[in-house]
Amino acid sequence: MLELLGAKLYTGIVALSLLLFSSFQGNDPRLSAITVQKSENYLHLSGSLISAFDNDFPSIFSSGTPIPVHFMLQIRSGGKAVVQRRFTHTVSFDTATGVYELGKSGTGEVYRSDRVEDIIREVSRYRFGIPYQADWGSVSIKIDASLPRVNFEQLNKEVDLMVLWKHKIPSARTTADLRRAQ
Amino acid sequence: MPKIGLHTRIILLFLIVSIGGLMLLNMVFQSKQEEIHGAIKRMELLERLRGLRQYSHVDSVQAQEIMREYDAAKALLNVSLGDSRVVTSVVLFLVIILSSSIFIVFIIRISKPLRELKHATDQIRQGNFSVHLPETGILEMRELKNSFNVMSRELETIQTKLLVAEKEMIWKDLSRILAHEIKNPLTPIQLVIQRLEGRLESDPESIKDIMPESVSIITQEVENLRLLAQDFSNYAKASQPSRELFNPASSIREIVKSYSQNYDIQLQLAEDLSIFFDKTHFYQVLTNILQNAIDASQDAKPITIKLYGERSYVVLGINDQGSGIESKDLARIFEPYFSKKSKGTGLGLALVKKLCDANGTIVRVKSKPGEGTEFTLIIEETTA
Repeated sequence: MLELLGAKLYTGIVALSLLLFSSFQGNDPRLSAITVQKSENYLHLSGSLISAFDNDFPSIFSSGTPIPVHFMLQIRSGGKAVVQRRFTHTVSFDTATGVYELGKSGTGEVYRSDRVEDIIREVSRYRFGIPYQADWGSVSIKIDASLPRVNFEQLNKEVDLMVLWKHKIPSARTTADLRRAQ
Repeated sequence: MPKIGLHTRIILLFLIVSIGGLMLLNMVFQSKQEEIHGAIKRMELLERLRGLRQYSHVDSVQAQEIMREYDAAKALLNVSLGDSRVVTSVVLFLVIILSSSIFIVFIIRISKPLRELKHATDQIRQGNFSVHLPETGILEMRELKNSFNVMSRELETIQTKLLVAEKEMIWKDLSRILAHEIKNPLTPIQLVIQRLEGRLESDPESIKDIMPESVSIITQEVENLRLLAQDFSNYAKASQPSRELFNPASSIREIVKSYSQNYDIQLQLAEDLSIFFDKTHFYQVLTNILQNAIDASQDAKPITIKLYGERSYVVLGINDQGSGIESKDLARIFEPYFSKKSKGTGLGLALVKKLCDANGTIVRVKSKPGEGTEFTLIIEETTA
């Protein structure tokens, strides 16, 4: 709780500081509303990151260093976390061929393209399938997106990619009633 | 325009110079970073190298290695530049907040003793010399407060001495006046008694001839003594007014009645007026002024009393055509014990002033030697 408050305060300070004293554009990421679909055994969650990779990321993705994007999913039922999972989309680039490759850990999909715009569009989209139990009843679903610290091996230098999101963690919430027939 | 205090000016100056300077520095820094960012964006070495295909295998591997390092460096520069811009802004923001807070706390610590000092100075101005400040705070403030305390102690001592001296002076003055006023009637009484004693020894039979005159003199002088005592008593007793609404015209007529048989008093009174005044005080004020007018008038010249309304005031004017008052004496006629009359305590007009003040009335006097004197009372109408 205290950590969450601290993070929110820090994000607020960063946003206000940049607004007042900097022309740094960065990115202002947000998550679209979560679409929830229920099949017999799985709960399918989908959505996308908006305005997350427009600035600076084309050169970051083409650096040759794999760039992961994390999606943290939490499902709570009756005040208790019943699901806590992290899905990662990883973008890598082959300098020799100029081809980008996107791997999505949630579905195991691999996507290739030589256009960074396509990769940005795809890396922004998520779709997770989570097995559920009907007795969870009414659940609250929360998804956070974040960027990790990345080590550029060629230069042996580690950087925090959250700077490009101005340390803002985009988040989306929704609720679903798992007892209701789809 | 509101007054700007010292600490507000210092804060404003601090904000303009310090924060303004920091923001200017930040603007320059941010603009240079923007230029670097633009330059990085224009670095397209990768695409051009990728277009070259005439390498040997070894060169090709080396070229790819260079490209990878170049791409990583470009990405790293981008992130680092973004990081430095975020950190700069946050640090600037925190520095401004922190330094402003420290500055405000410091200013409050400085201005608090100044406010205490101002409050203490106000106390001194109001005559309370016993005020002392706790000698706390920064060195300069402690010294300032110490000087202030020394000053207030000295003022307190001087005030005590002055009060003693003033009381002594008042008593001396009063004793002198009382001695003089009592001595005046005592001398004729003593002379009459000596004359009676002389007759009693030399010609007791003829004492009856001078007895009526002697008794008359003694009675007169005793009456004078009684009036003297009455005057002092009235001045000392001048109590809190018990104000009420009444018609001044009928009161004036009543008061003047007893004087009208012996003096020519002309009345010009507006009837439909009312004033909020202590009735007893009104009687004392009018009789004192009237007695002064009578004493000053010679050759049965008339005394005029006018009563009229003017705006929201009632004006009462008492005008005589007597000897008048010298301009140098005009400013002093309301002072206690000031009198130019051969028989007088100097308390009559002082009492008039005191009673007028107590009833919220303004009393003015105009006079020309040889032409007469006019007293004017300006009384608020019906302020119940």
